[in-house]
Amino acid sequence: MIKSVLRIAALCIAASAVIASGGVSANDYREMGKSFEIADSRMFVTPPRDWNQLSIKPGKFAETWTLDGEHLNDVTFFGGVEPGKPLVRELSKKHEPLPKFSEATLLIEVPELLQLTYQAYKKISEFKVTTVNPGNFLGREGVHFSYEYLDYDNLPRKGEARASIVDNRLYMITFDAPRLHYFERTLSDFRALADATTLR
Amino acid sequence: MIMRRALIAFLGTALLASAAAGAPKQKTSPAPVPPPYAGHYQPQGIDEIGIWREDDERERALANSSQVIRDEALNGYVRSVLCKTVGEDRCSSVRIYILRVPLFNASMSPNGTMRVFSGLLLRTTSEAELAAVLGHEFGHFEQRHTLAQFKAARKGTDLLSWAAVFTAMAGTNQAYRNFDNLQISVYGGLMRFGRDQELEADLLGLGYLNGSELRPQAASRVWRNLILEVEASAAARGLKKPKFDNVSFFASHPPEGERADYLYDLAAPDSEGRDEGADRHAEVLKPWIAQFLNDQIALNDFGASEFLINRLGERGWTADLWRARGDLFRGRGHPRDHMNAADFYGKAVSLDPTLADAFRGLGLSLIKTGRVSEGKIALQAYLRLSPNAPDASMVNLTLSSIGGR
Repeated sequence: MIKSVLRIAALCIAASAVIASGGVSANDYREMGKSFEIADSRMFVTPPRDWNQLSIKPGKFAETWTLDGEHLNDVTFFGGVEPGKPLVRELSKKHEPLPKFSEATLLIEVPELLQLTYQAYKKISEFKVTTVNPGNFLGREGVHFSYEYLDYDNLPRKGEARASIVDNRLYMITFDAPRLHYFERTLSDFRALADATTLR
Repeated sequence: MIMRRALIAFLGTALLASAAAGAPKQKTSPAPVPPPYAGHYQPQGIDEIGIWREDDERERALANSSQVIRDEALNGYVRSVLCKTVGEDRCSSVRIYILRVPLFNASMSPNGTMRVFSGLLLRTTSEAELAAVLGHEFGHFEQRHTLAQFKAARKGTDLLSWAAVFTAMAGTNQAYRNFDNLQISVYGGLMRFGRDQELEADLLGLGYLNGSELRPQAASRVWRNLILEVEASAAARGLKKPKFDNVSFFASHPPEGERADYLYDLAAPDSEGRDEGADRHAEVLKPWIAQFLNDQIALNDFGASEFLINRLGERGWTADLWRARGDLFRGRGHPRDHMNAADFYGKAVSLDPTLADAFRGLGLSLIKTGRVSEGKIALQAYLRLSPNAPDASMVNLTLSSIGGR
């Protein structure tokens, strides 16, 4: 047993050396004014200010950007979620399935889909959709909504999102930040980023 | 050579010690009523004083948590059930915190902090069922199980640390093999120690119930219902039927099947005719059922949620139950689910024509099943009942996109 522990420790040291030398992909820089493709989809964005793209990829269709780290401001793009698929990667398809987007999902139900996904994924109960309004996203008819919730770390967070369903696929951008200070501070940057998101 | 012999002797003693730690407790039937309460207990010795101090810190954070449901009536009710079960003197040493967590659980920590999850309140159908779980948790507290577990874990890990040193000194393959065996034995012993504590708490819990006015046979039903719920959950997810009679190596609790059986045996036989307090329980929980069900549905566990809704429906279907069932089916969203959801919402609004959320669900489900004009009428009713709903303008847009407001 001791031998095997030593072996594992040696492997860990080797792995950290590889990471330190830049051998594993890390976060990326998203420079203002350049055009970037989102999650290999038809969604493109030209950020009006510099952002960071995180290497954490919440799901096949999703990509996360931030200014100060995902705990302080998290912008997640959902680039064309297919019918029958969840918004983010399921921890276990069998044991912990997530709600699925479907062909029958109406635009008005997208906030509920996000709510149920957050609740099931983060295992939280307190979540309230505060406003749901019609609005454009990607130059098409869509929904703008806002919400607040008590996150898994017991920190109250607020969020705002825009979504649109195009050719039976769900395109969405969400912004989540702590209710205290950070949400208000970055909200205008998020809105500018959402305005700059297009579909090709 | 002397060192090696000493090591073998040391390991042998250790194995015996760890086996002794897991000696099973006796189940006597029926469970005896516990002796009079010894009075307010204060921690003794540095271990226990330290554990209580840490626990006081946790309680301070807990008292400020937004997860705590502070409703006076609900808190008063849960306290009254605990007091009925364990008696007023024991009950006065407990602070109860009801947490909005949709899981089947309750816990009690060394300083007298009791956490009751909202999921437990949703799953129990009578005072006696709730009392069975609260009594069990109080049993852990009264027997100071956390302290005993802490000491056992420290003893076990101390032993393993020394054994690791001696093993390295001996350096032979046999010593490493012995060390591996010892490790398995110590960890197995610790888990078994935990299971024995559960058994002891069950015994005490039933003892309290036997001595109370409530029907102790309800304790067994709590576990039977949990088994049925877990089976329903697994079936809906297409998983293998879970086994409830196996004890796995790392199990912290006795298997549910065994528990249901011995809890029934522990109940006093002459108590069959006692009241369970099902009506009182239902009455107090009535205003909470809708919210607790919403939290349950959000777990995305279709089988378990459907099982719980149906079981609550056995007492009589209410508008809230039909609405929740509608939400459950609409949330899953299979094409066949929308038909069922529309049916359930329809039943909800016929029982309570002021239930705005049910009209919303009804409207959306009907639109999805192609009954657009009926759906429109339902959504209009939703707007009439809830003109300031957060999604009112979106509903208006939906109405206009399907032809008229």
